[in-house]
Amino acid sequence: MDHSSLSLGVLTPAAGRSAASSDLGGGITHEDIDRARDRLAVARARDPGVPAYLRWLRLSWLLVGPGVLVFLGENDAPSMLSYAATGAQFGIGFFVPFVLLTFLMGFVVQEMTVRLGAVTHRGHAELIFDRFGTFWGRFAMGDLVIGNFLTLVTEFIGIRAGLGFFGVPPLIAVGGAMALVFGVILTHRYWTWERIALGLAIFNGLFVPAALLAHPQWGAIGQSFVTWSPMPKGGLFKPDTFLLIMADIGATVTPWMLFFQQSAVADKGLQERDIQGGRMDTLLGTLLAATFAIATIVATAPLFAKGIDAGDYQAAQFAQALEPLIGHVGAALFALGIFEAGLVAAMTISASSAYAFGEVLGTPHSLNRRLSESRAFYGILMGSALAAGALVLIPHAPLEYIVLIVNVIAVLAMPPALLFLVLLCNDRQVMGEHTTGAWGNIAVWLVTALLVFAGLAFGLMTVFPKLFGGGG
Amino acid sequence: MNTRADSLSTPLARPEPRHPKVRRDELDLEHQPEAVLSVLEADQLFAAKQARLGRARLSKGAGVLLWGLRVYVIAMMLMVAMQVVHTLHGGQ
Repeated sequence: MDHSSLSLGVLTPAAGRSAASSDLGGGITHEDIDRARDRLAVARARDPGVPAYLRWLRLSWLLVGPGVLVFLGENDAPSMLSYAATGAQFGIGFFVPFVLLTFLMGFVVQEMTVRLGAVTHRGHAELIFDRFGTFWGRFAMGDLVIGNFLTLVTEFIGIRAGLGFFGVPPLIAVGGAMALVFGVILTHRYWTWERIALGLAIFNGLFVPAALLAHPQWGAIGQSFVTWSPMPKGGLFKPDTFLLIMADIGATVTPWMLFFQQSAVADKGLQERDIQGGRMDTLLGTLLAATFAIATIVATAPLFAKGIDAGDYQAAQFAQALEPLIGHVGAALFALGIFEAGLVAAMTISASSAYAFGEVLGTPHSLNRRLSESRAFYGILMGSALAAGALVLIPHAPLEYIVLIVNVIAVLAMPPALLFLVLLCNDRQVMGEHTTGAWGNIAVWLVTALLVFAGLAFGLMTVFPKLFGGGG
Repeated sequence: MNTRADSLSTPLARPEPRHPKVRRDELDLEHQPEAVLSVLEADQLFAAKQARLGRARLSKGAGVLLWGLRVYVIAMMLMVAMQVVHTLHGGQ
């Protein structure tokens, strides 16, 4: 293997020790000590003296995190709204297996970030700037910043709408959510932040009982997985249908997920020997998020069955419309689910922006840092959440358009992000023996091609709506 | 001192974890630098992450793809803007 052209400034073990011993208060930081504490727990969990099943359980508990968080974080307010609209407009049919497919695409992509993070111990933005230069790095950051901010706005729309169902005033809903987001980071411990976020993310499962209260037709669901039917009326290229296809893809494969998971893997301190554990964490996140997404489609399918036009519904309206069909408890679960989706995503997406900025600016960027040590990192995290939350509170702001297009923008911005990911994961100087294999490359290129195709079709529909049977 | 030549022999991808003869149940992470270094890989330290990696050599094909996809994103964002304007003006 040729590493001769790689100009790394990485400290060798000897240099690392020297830096550490020269200044325990400087060479080794609070961030390093906290990360070492997490690594020590993992090392102890691997103790061969412990029974195998206990070892497996303990390791699973310690290594689960970024993968589950990224997928349940992406089951966010606009995504759940897209799934709700999908169920309400098309019922059980083509979209049920299609959504599962989008999550499998998401797994292919996110698994690559686990390897990148565990091997390089660096975040995604940092690697793009270092390996491709400032010019391309700025483009990647531009896509991320625009996408993240718009998405963050939609999360607070979800928080406001979800709690609005219970009569909570917008200011209290948004203010309370912000207080929680800020309160958790003040623990200045990645592990604590991750566990609290995971604890909240589990409530994404509220869509499952909501779906059960809709008395689903299990036969129809099973049949849809086998036959991918019934197909939407008017075909897949009918503009309204295609917009939902785009939104559903954007609900599982987005740029912020790449940046967040790689940064979180690095902050958690995963190493090469943890890659398999990271994969399992990502697979678990994929399966949980896919289940909850499909449950949302199932929960709103009664609106389709009753012929109720839900084309323009927003989050709270779905819950209100569902109340006569699945009962008050079901509707309340649905509204709580939308609130939870917005809250967890507000935590993860603001962290994603903060990580990326910290990496690019070269300032400390770890949730293991104290506020005073990492003002820029926490400033971006809190500032972006504050700005997005404040925007949601402006009366008569045209927020519904942001919800409408945010997932579409995610799909459109994804192909260049995937190209950086593919190039980095095939960079032998960076990845060593962990470069992507042939099948992985085929899968990720297929995902990229599908996203480009979807984007081009969307563009054609916008410019030539009559070509696809739209009203123009 | 850590020079670039030192690091060339240590690919970023696979720094070897160090296992000094310190019992893990006796580690005092707060006060023993060697304890921290015994569980972290060298390039997991904050100080190590300050160093930048070198630029990758992009093939012609990769360069063309990067430019192509960048043009694609800008064109598509214009489409989205058109769609939003269209919707705001009452179209469907």
